[in-house]
This record gives sequence, structure tokens and C-alpha cells, in this order.
Amino acid sequence: MSFDIPEKTICGFIGPNGAGKTTLFGVIAGAIRPSSGKVRLRGKDVTSMKPHALVKRGIARTHQIVRPFRAMSVLDNARVAVHFGRHSVKSAERARERAWEVLKLVGLEHRAEFSASAIPLGEQKRLEVARALATDPELLLLDEICGGLAASETSAMLDLLQRIREKGATILYVEHDMKAVMSICDRITVLNFGQKLAEGKPEEIRKNDAVIEAYLGKGALSGSSN
Amino acid sequence: MKTGTPASGIRFSISSVLPWLLLVALIFLPSAGLGTNLIRLFFLTLVWIVTSVAWNLVGGFAGQVSFGFAVFYGVGAYTGALLMNQGVSPYAAMAGAAAMASIASLIVGAPTFRLRGPYFVIATIGVNEAVRVLMSNLAITGGASGLRLREHGPYRQVEHYYTALGAAAIAIAISAVIARSRFGLALRAIRQDEDAAADVGVNAYVCKLYVHAIAAALTGMAGAIFARYAAYINPQGVFAFNTSISILLMPVIGGIGTIWGPVLGGVVFGAIEEQLVANFPNIHLLLYGGLLMLIVLVEPDGLVGLFHRIVRRRGSDSRSKGIDKVLWGRSRLEGREL
Amino acid sequence: MMTAADFLNLLIAALMLAGIYGAMSVGMTVIYGVMKIVNLAHAGFMMMGAYFAYELFQRFNIDPLFGAFLALPVFFLFGMAIHWLLVRRLPKSDQPTLSSLLLMFGFWLVLQNVAYLTWGNTDMSILTPHTLSVINLGPITISTLRLVVFAAAVVSMAILQLILNRSWFGKSVRALIQNPYAAQITGVDDQKISRMAFGLGTAFAGFAGALLSMLYSFNPDFGRPFLVRSFVIIVLGGLESVPGVAFGALVLAVVETFSILAVPAGYQPAISFALLVVVLLLFPRGLAGLMQKKWRAA
Repeated sequence: MSFDIPEKTICGFIGPNGAGKTTLFGVIAGAIRPSSGKVRLRGKDVTSMKPHALVKRGIARTHQIVRPFRAMSVLDNARVAVHFGRHSVKSAERARERAWEVLKLVGLEHRAEFSASAIPLGEQKRLEVARALATDPELLLLDEICGGLAASETSAMLDLLQRIREKGATILYVEHDMKAVMSICDRITVLNFGQKLAEGKPEEIRKNDAVIEAYLGKGALSGSSN
Repeated sequence: MKTGTPASGIRFSISSVLPWLLLVALIFLPSAGLGTNLIRLFFLTLVWIVTSVAWNLVGGFAGQVSFGFAVFYGVGAYTGALLMNQGVSPYAAMAGAAAMASIASLIVGAPTFRLRGPYFVIATIGVNEAVRVLMSNLAITGGASGLRLREHGPYRQVEHYYTALGAAAIAIAISAVIARSRFGLALRAIRQDEDAAADVGVNAYVCKLYVHAIAAALTGMAGAIFARYAAYINPQGVFAFNTSISILLMPVIGGIGTIWGPVLGGVVFGAIEEQLVANFPNIHLLLYGGLLMLIVLVEPDGLVGLFHRIVRRRGSDSRSKGIDKVLWGRSRLEGREL
Repeated sequence: MMTAADFLNLLIAALMLAGIYGAMSVGMTVIYGVMKIVNLAHAGFMMMGAYFAYELFQRFNIDPLFGAFLALPVFFLFGMAIHWLLVRRLPKSDQPTLSSLLLMFGFWLVLQNVAYLTWGNTDMSILTPHTLSVINLGPITISTLRLVVFAAAVVSMAILQLILNRSWFGKSVRALIQNPYAAQITGVDDQKISRMAFGLGTAFAGFAGALLSMLYSFNPDFGRPFLVRSFVIIVLGGLESVPGVAFGALVLAVVETFSILAVPAGYQPAISFALLVVVLLLFPRGLAGLMQKKWRAA
């Protein structure tokens, strides 16, 4: 399986459980070493680079199960990311400014002094995004960022992703929540059993027989389609 | 949120002036006519403080709990002693000791920092054991019977005292600088979650090696200072597991992960250690062990944590926040990390 | 050049050693697996086991082998008591914590001091009529004592394996090891099982200590070199199984025994650590680190 991610787009990756989304994510994020194949960023081979090196190259990720720096403040969480992100910002002043900007973008500036463990899950997920963004990545990897969120939180998150896209970001978005993916992505790739099942715009995917079959089973096709 | 009142503003600057007052007081101490025994006590306490502050850089800031810091203490002691016996000036010897200890820390750290949490801890115990055995067998260093120093010049207690004071001041200064720097931020992130830190660009392995080297240098220097004073060292003393225990006990007592916690712990330890060993040699370990258990179960943040609790109960938001900043820069909202 | 008989002797010695190393490490493994606590007091419990056997021998003339088996229930109860008193008050976590380390370490110091107050600092040993007897099979000499200890160790590990695989308790333990959250949801009472697991781990520590008292002399500091060895074994053999521990024990014992040929006696205690370093350089995360990755995915 191979694919390209065009710049300044949000590319969604969906598929039923066990399709290989997590593995794919892990490989690109440098957490899993693939047995074969390559990952290239603007032509450069980054397959076997470690996570911290990937960040310096411009690939940043969020975690499916949130992993904030719990005993540090929300602001400090962002500050670390700025200091050690793509530009390795040395100045404390500039890092603090940048961190505030990011917090404002994700809507967490009112929580800046709060301990990261003291905010609700929805906000922790936004903190995940903030931290990744604070490294100023070229490619942002989102791992089921809407997982476990209530409807209102989900739409807040999707609004955030819109704002990020408007800033010209490139996002690789692995997700389980179909509605979220359909509404926000420019392009969707559907996986199943580690293979590419379909690829294209959301409207195309929605009508794709193979996709429907994969999700709902063979019987669904004989009934009325949605 | 309450904004700072003038009263709390004053209190904040008192907290930051205090260390300087303390330093001045300590500088003039010998001229206060306190008697050699007390000066000796201060000297030893200052040496302990250096090791305590140093250990805290690795174990407190970065969360890598080493049970084997005696290795660097011993390496520093022996290096210093051997150099001084060759006629090298004491201060150059101490610098050499620090350098040697740093090199040792890289050798130790390279394999062990690939381990996480308790695995790292036990590996350090193993290193300690191995080094102690090694040094007991090595002929150049005198083997199990130890090494005698040839002091070149008259014994002047005051000089030892000021050397130790200088070292302690340097150690605390380094600790404070790191705490406020981005390096310190990275260390704290590593302590929280090493993998998440890597995911925001922190090269955890290198950072750990780096802070370890700094801490080892300080500890090695302390060892050399002690060696010069004691004029005799042996593996059962400087490389002892008990020494490693003592080194880590101090920051835990005082407040692991803070700037002044290790200092407090060093003071408490230095004061009590003498009395304990003299008056209750039989229940030495019992008291250490009991104290350790008590701290873990009751107040993991040590004396500093206790102090926080008291101040918080009486003070306003901004006041305790001010003190927090002095002690570590930690927001009051942070919970226990132990 | 070494003769075949010499080689066989060494091999058998290594095997015997592996048995006891295995018995000593399973206790630590169980406790770590269930509670993610690295029990530094393990060394202390082993030491107490040795003195337990000693007392039984001195006062009641009970052969230390029986003493060892008696140690099992006694230390089981002791372990449960310690868990109830101290361990359960630790902040809970699915990751090993500094608190648990320091707590158990503190307790180890206390145990050492208690032993020191009761028995003093001098080396003790247990000498029975069996101590020096050997079995001769042609050119091969086997110390009876070591054979007996080996048998006891193997039997105990086999029984432990049986418990873990067949009994309800064992299944609960394995469930907790693999996935603490899921286990609790399915009704495993983690407090109760933790307590029993701690008791079990302590029991085996005491048992191993008592066995060791038959072979070596001991003092209150007894156990520290074994602590490091237990850890090496766990790293070699993985965390979750008795066979894994057995494997690790075998490797360490063989390396230690045959290293006598290459390394001067004074450096012997450093062997286990050297092995650890080698293993870690080859498997940077340690075999245990590979296990960690597995948990993280869940």
C-alpha cells in the first residue's frame, strides 16, 4: 500500500477495526519500525528516524490516549514543545509568546496556569493538538482526536481543525468517527486488512460499494443505500 | 484570582534575598569563634549538600532515581587523592576529579539510560556493587586497604571549610540555573512522560546523559574535597552502598525535585547523622528506613512539601505562589509526582 | 585443558545454581507483575528466611530443608500483613513508581536493622550432618545439599506454575498482570489478589532465603547481591512467566559458573552486572522493555 499526502490538505484515514490504521500511524510517527517500505517527507527518507528527530523535521503527532505532562501547567506543556520543536527556540521570551499564541488558537488560554491533569478530557485533547502545533510542524498527525468526546466537544474540535487548515497546515488524520472524517477531510483513504480499499473525496467514498461492504457487510448492499 | 497585595510582594522578595543573606552568614562563620568541632560539622554538611543537590538534578528534576551515586563520589575521591599525591594543586585535582566522574557517568549512563523507571534503579545498584568490588581489587588504588593522601602543606580547617562552601554555592547556582532554563523544562517533561517528551522533540537519552554528567561532576568534586580533608579513603567507605543511600535520602527528606529541598535535606541529614552515629549506632538503619517510609506514605514532597502545606493553610493564593516560584517555579496546582 | 568430567561437574554446579536462582526470582516476578512494584525488600525477606531457618535449627533442631518449607506459610502471612500495613497505602499506578521503590527500600533497611539487633553482624551459617556429604557418580561429584536444594527449588517452581495456570487465584493473577483495568471490570478484586500475590512473593523470598542458608553463610546484609541477580534474571527471562524466570536463571547460573575459569575470584560478584550490561547493549530496552511496549498499546 502506498499513498501521497498533498500539502495543505486534511487527509483522513478510516477503516474498520483491525484495518491497520494504528500501525500505519505508528510507522509514520516513528514509534513502530516497519518490516518493509519507506516513509518520505519531501523526498527525504524518514522511515527509521526516532520521534524527536521527526519533530525537528516537521512531523508532529498527537496521542490517541492523551498523554499530557500532568504535573506541569498547560502553558508549560506548550512551552516545552516550542522550545524543542522544529525551530528549537532558545529564547524564553519568544517561546512563551509562541506558546500563548498556540493556546489562543486552540482556545485554552484561560487554562494556561492550570495543571494539565486538572482540565477535562475534551480540553486535554485540545492540549494534545496544541502541543503538536507548538512544534510548528509541516505535517500534523492526528490519532483519533475525536475519540471519547461528546457531540459538542467533537464539533469544537472540528472547528479547531478548520482553523488549523486555514493556516495552511497539512494534516494526516486517522479516525474512527466517520461523521467527523466526512465533514472535515479533503481526501479520504479507506483501509481494510492492511490494504487500501478506496481513496478519494468524501462524497465518492460515501457512495463506494466496497467501502459500504467493508463496514456494513455484504448484506447492506442489497438494502437501500444511504 | 487575587492579585498580589503589597505585603505578599515584600514576602516574595524576602524569599529571594534570603539565600544571599545565608551565604554571607556562612562566609563569616569561621570568624564567629565557634570551635573546630562545629566548623567540622558545617564542613561535612556542606559536602553532603553538594552531593544532595547534584543527585537531585538527575533524580528530582529528571526523575531518574539512581541508587548508585557513590560511584561518582568514590571516583572523584580517588582521582583527587591520586592527583594530589602526584603533587597536583588541590583545586586542579578537584577539577580533575569532576572531569573523571563525568566520564564515569557517561560510561554508566550509556547502557543504563536505555532502561526505564525501576529497571534503571536496579541497574544503578548493580553498577555500585560492581565498581565497589572492582576498586577493592585494583592495586593502583590500594585495593581494599585504601589510599593515604600526602598533604602538601599545613592543615588549615578554614581552607577546607571555604572550599566546601564554594562548592555548595556552585552546586546550588547550577541547580537554580537549570531549573529556570529550557533544559530544566525538558528534564521535567522527561520525568513526566519520556515518550511524550520525545514526541515534542526532546532527545531524552541525550538530555539524561547530559544532566547525569553535570551531577556526577559535582558529586566527584565533593568526593575530592572530602578526600583531601579525610586524608584517607577506602572502597568500603566512599563506594559503599550506604553512601549511595545517604546521598539520595537527603533530597527525599528535604523535598525531591525542588531547588532548596536537597539543601534542607542536607542540613537535616548532616546534623542528625553525626548525633545518630554517635549516640544510636545500633538503630541507624532503622531510623533511615523508618524516615523514608514515613516520607513516602505521609508527605512525599518532604520538608518542602510540609512547609507548603503550612503556608498554604495560612496564606493567600499569591503568597504561596511566590514561595513556590522561589522553590522551584512549580505552580501550586501541581500535585504530587512521586 | 578441561576434562569431560570437570566440564560435567561445572555444568551440574551451574544447574544446581540455576534452580536456586529461579526460586529466588519468581517471588519478585509475581509481585512486580501484579502490582508493578519492584520489591527491594525482597533481599530483606530472603535474609529473614535464612535467619528463620537458622532459628528453627538452633532451637528445635529442625532440618533447614523443612525449615524452608515451613517458611512458605509463615512468610505468606507475613507478606500479607506487610501489604495490609504498608503497601496498600501507596498511590496506585499501572506504572512502577518511585514511591513504591523508596517504601520497599526503607522497609529493607528496617529489616536489616532488626536482624542486626537480634542476631548481630557476624556471619552465621547452618551446619548439619549433610553439609559436607557428597554423592559420587564416577568422576562426577555432586554435593548432596545442593542436589536437595535444587530439587526443592524446582518442585516449588513447578507448584507455582501449577497454581498460576490452574487455580482461580492464578488466573486472577495472570489477568491482573496482563490488563489490570479489564481484570477489575471482570470482577477480579485487585486489593485481595494483590495482597495474596504479595504474600506469595514474600513466601518464595523467605523460602529461597532459607534454602540459601543451607549453602552459604549469611548476615543482615545478606541478599543484596541476590537482589541484583534476581533483576538480571528477570531482564533476561521476561516478566510474565515462571518458565521465563527459569530460562533467565539458567543463563545467569551458567555464565557465573563458567566464568570462574576466566575471571579472578575477587571480581566474581561483578559478573552478574557485566551480564546485565551485555544484555542491555544487545537489547537496548531489555527484554522487559519489550514487555513494556506491549502494555502501552493497551
